[in-house]
Amino acid sequence: MNSKRSAAYRTSTTVALVLAVLTGIEYFVAISFPSTVILLLLGLFKAVAVVNYFMHISRLWRSEGGH
Amino acid sequence: MSVVTTAAPAAHTAHAAHGNAHHADHGEDYGVALRNNRMGLWLFFLSEAFLFGGLLATRFYLWGPYRPEVDQTVGLIVTVVLLISSFSMNLAETGMEHGDRRMFNIGLIVTFILGLVFLFGVIIFEWGLFPALYEGHLTPWGDNQPLNAEGLTLPFGAVVFAMTGMHALHVISGLVFIAIVWNMGRKGHFSPEQHWGVESCAIYWHYVDLVWIFFYPALYLIGEVVGHR
Repeated sequence: MNSKRSAAYRTSTTVALVLAVLTGIEYFVAISFPSTVILLLLGLFKAVAVVNYFMHISRLWRSEGGH
Repeated sequence: MSVVTTAAPAAHTAHAAHGNAHHADHGEDYGVALRNNRMGLWLFFLSEAFLFGGLLATRFYLWGPYRPEVDQTVGLIVTVVLLISSFSMNLAETGMEHGDRRMFNIGLIVTFILGLVFLFGVIIFEWGLFPALYEGHLTPWGDNQPLNAEGLTLPFGAVVFAMTGMHALHVISGLVFIAIVWNMGRKGHFSPEQHWGVESCAIYWHYVDLVWIFFYPALYLIGEVVGHR
């Protein structure tokens, strides 16, 4: 139970760090070589991470919890 | 006497069997309800996507390749605050899923505080509603709108206020949702097995973050900056 819980917290932290790095890259791209396509792609990557890991879209067809 | 002693376990077994069947039925009902609830929530998000998608389309249609001069530091800070709030909300939900009520409580409280920080960031710095604290650059209407390269006035203020206003409205409803869930959790309403209230609150909050993931570049990062008059 504890190892499962720790693994879940680790996943949350990893996803949050990835999102933070992508936001930093987004800001860097915008101030150094503004490209609408790259910015929208970065936004899309962030959205996929949020929908998949934080919003648990894979649970949509399941009738039980996430553990 | 022997009848009683033999009948009693039988009755107990029958009662237990009935209880187990009832429990199983209840579990099955909860499972079906959970699946339907999840589908309902995602259908709601789909309907909301049309609203926010419409606002995004408005921004690109009316502004084209331009954007107003906005405070980049404010934009980055409120974005990071919302991102961290999504993380703390996920920790709260994961805590409840694994019976860690301490993490659930801390996560919800931190999310609520960060949500408030985001909201005040928008009200004070993006909208400039308190000039004594911060001089805002944009107004929703009026003659002081910036001009683009062709000397045309574009509705910068109206679009910024419509997009951030609609998003802020969802942040406020998310904060109310968090407060209700925290109070219910405090009274012991949720368990690791049954916590749809917590899950839906978390997913709703992440949806608010998801919308901002697209609004942030659209308002702050994409397009050529148009100065003030």
